[in-house]
Formats: sequence, C-alpha cells, structure tokens
Amino acid sequence: MAGKPLWRKAFDAVESRAAGPVEAGAHSDVLGDLITLNVRIARRAQQEVERRTRRLLHMANLPTATDVRRLSEQVAALQRELRELEDRRP
Amino acid sequence: MSPSLAPADLLSRVQRDVERAAQRGRNGLRYAAGTSRPKLGQTPKDVVWRRHKAELWHYRNDDIKVRTPVVIVHSLVSRSYVLDLYPGNSAVAFLLKEGLDVFLLDWGVPDEADSGNRLEHYVDDGIPAAIAAACEAAGTEEVTLLGYCFGGVLSLLSAARHPELPIRNLALMATPVDFTKMETITALVREGRLDPEEVVEPTGNVPPDVIENGFRLLKPTAEVAQYANLWENLWNDEFMEGYQAMGQWARDHVPFPGAAFRQTVEQLVRNNALMEGTFELGGERVDLGVIRSPVLNIMAERDHIVPLAAAEPIVDLVGSEQAEELRLSAGHAGLVAGRKAAKVTLPGIAGWIADHSEKA
Repeated sequence: MAGKPLWRKAFDAVESRAAGPVEAGAHSDVLGDLITLNVRIARRAQQEVERRTRRLLHMANLPTATDVRRLSEQVAALQRELRELEDRRP
Repeated sequence: MSPSLAPADLLSRVQRDVERAAQRGRNGLRYAAGTSRPKLGQTPKDVVWRRHKAELWHYRNDDIKVRTPVVIVHSLVSRSYVLDLYPGNSAVAFLLKEGLDVFLLDWGVPDEADSGNRLEHYVDDGIPAAIAAACEAAGTEEVTLLGYCFGGVLSLLSAARHPELPIRNLALMATPVDFTKMETITALVREGRLDPEEVVEPTGNVPPDVIENGFRLLKPTAEVAQYANLWENLWNDEFMEGYQAMGQWARDHVPFPGAAFRQTVEQLVRNNALMEGTFELGGERVDLGVIRSPVLNIMAERDHIVPLAAAEPIVDLVGSEQAEELRLSAGHAGLVAGRKAAKVTLPGIAGWIADHSEKA
C-alpha cells in the first residue's frame, strides 16, 4: 500500500507541532477572559444601538427589534399555555 | 520502503494517480455543489409516542432475538441522526441486526416556546412517558435505557428520580458526571466568567452556534486537519460519504433550552452537584445511589468532549451491584459512528445488552 503523500507528511509534521500550542492558547485563561469581555461588549453595543435607534424607528412607525422580541415572547407564552391545556386534556 | 521504479509499476502508479485526479475533480464538484450529500437517518421507523417536540421512534425489525427493548435517549444539543447516519454506518441498524428491538427518544429542535423547559421536563415527564410507550409498543414490562452524552445524564437522573420505572438495565455512553474534569468545554461559564443569561439569546435558548464554537475551541486545529483529510481522500467515494455525514452532524447543533441550560451551569458545572451529592430537581435531592439495576458505563478513551475522568465515577455513584465499565478505543462520536464503531464499540454494547436482557 502506498504511504502518505509528501504534502500530507509535511502537513502532519506542522500540525502535530502547532496543535499543542494552539490548544494551550485556546484553553488559556487569557482567551477565556477575552471571549467573556467580547461577549459583554457586543451585548452592550447591541443594547446601545437599539436604544438609540428606537425613537427614530418609532417616529417612522416602524417596529424595533425589542418590539418584535416582545411579540415573539407573547406568541411563545401562548404556545406554552396551549400545550398545558393540551396536556390536561384526558 | 521506497516505491519500485520498474516501468510497469511506474505506469500503474501514473494510471492510479490519473484516475484519482479525475475522481477528485468529480467529487470536488459534487461536494462544492452539495449534490452528493448522503441521506441521513433512513432506517425505517414509526413514531409511537409524541409530546410537544419530542418523539419516540420505533425502528422496524422482523428478526427480534432479544425481547427487552432498548430505548435510546439522545442528547439535548445535537441531532439524533448520528445514531443512524446512513446504511453501512448506523448504530441503530447495527443493533437491529443483532436482534434488538430499538426505540429512540428524539427531543426535536427547541424554539422559544421550549425555552422554559427545565431538566425536570425531560427527566420527570419525557423519559418516563417514553419508557411507558416503548413497553406498550413492544409488549414488554421492562426496557434497557441507553443514554448517549447528555442523554446519558438525563437517563441517569430519571432512573434515580424514579426508581419505580421499569428499567431492567441502564447503559450510559460518554456520560459526564464529574464536570470539574470537563474544564475546557465549561471554562467560559464557570464562576466569574459568563453568566448563563449572557449566553442565552432573546429566544430564551442558547443558540446552536455558541455550542458549536464551544466544541471547536476544544480542538482548534481539527478543522484544518479535516480539510487535509478531505483533500487526501477526495477521490474516495466511501470516505466522502462518511466525511459529509459527520461534517453535517458536527455543524448541525440544536438550541439548548435556556431553563435547562441555567440548571446545568449552576448545578452541574459550577457546583459539580452530581459528584458532591447535592444535585436537586423539583426541590428534591437526587440520589444516584438508589439506582439498583445493572449499569454499563461506556467510555471512549479518546473522547475530547467527555474525557474518561468525567465519566469514570459513574460506577461508584450508582447503587447497583452490577456496575460495569466498558472502555473503548474511540472518540466521542466514534462510539456510535464510523467503521470502528461497527467493529469495536457497538458489538460490545449490543453484547452486554443482550446478555442482560430477556430473550425473545
């Protein structure tokens, strides 16, 4: 049976050397903290954008993401109530 | 050994390379166009029970040799078709061939209406009802409960919360109980890092891409290595079928219901409550020691998602006199899918189930 092609041998050699340090980096506290920070900043930025655009959209009589979210929460609540009724049915 | 330079050998190698190049081109085009994706989860089955999005599937089998049916409980974050990929690579089909009567409890894809589903929803309602439905459909009084990954955790909790359930055997595959040994995957939600609320999206659930990225972080170079495997084997139709099926499954996660996620983070991850004996459901402490049925703890030695150390303590936590371990040389998905599963892992699992069950 033919062995691995040369390019694959080279790839495996690089990958086996790189995997350890890359995994160590991915599993490090620093990256964990960075991801945590990134998620928090992104959430705050999104909230801020929503807050600032809300008045503008409402002036144009357009719904905001928050409005849509509230509506969809209400639909979900209705669905849950329907399920409960369905479950109680003999 | 260096390759032969004889003209006949050289010619045959050139021929082989030319053929493979043509097959590579054809398979590459098909792969890029997405026209050669295998159809997944095709083993014939009937839905025998349904509640909300959960369904219990009964796989058809005309040659049942083991009377006690097997109810497989799948995880909450991935698709159950990993257990029934395609003909020739299906754990379900393998178990059927071994004469088992197989049911699979699939939780469906949660949406906003499911965001309030707590673990009790699965442990106290879903699993007991599915077991009852399986008993009725199979005409038996007992089942073998086989949990996979987080489905194993749910099965374990259900067996402990409801000792009255007719569970003849409990088999758990890649089931974590010691969450301190799963630091890599749980690192982002440990105390001081992200709170569950920061991970849950407006639908009330944890989005699938968060789960997928969490798995990606475990082995960041794996994806590149997979592309190298793809290029090397692009000519091979059999490889392509498996590659596409597994690739699709690995990218096909489902949302994690927010309420169950909060409980998982607070109790299992942050308090390691199964190991500490402090796990509570419905305001009551769950004691795994009440589980008396034979237990098989199936662990994959190369599992990077649920490492051995996270699953090992199961045999000490349950109260069964017959608590056994089965360590298999496989990865997390390799327990149930791939060529090795059919040769190494599944025969051991099917054998144990058959030995501990009533014969037909």
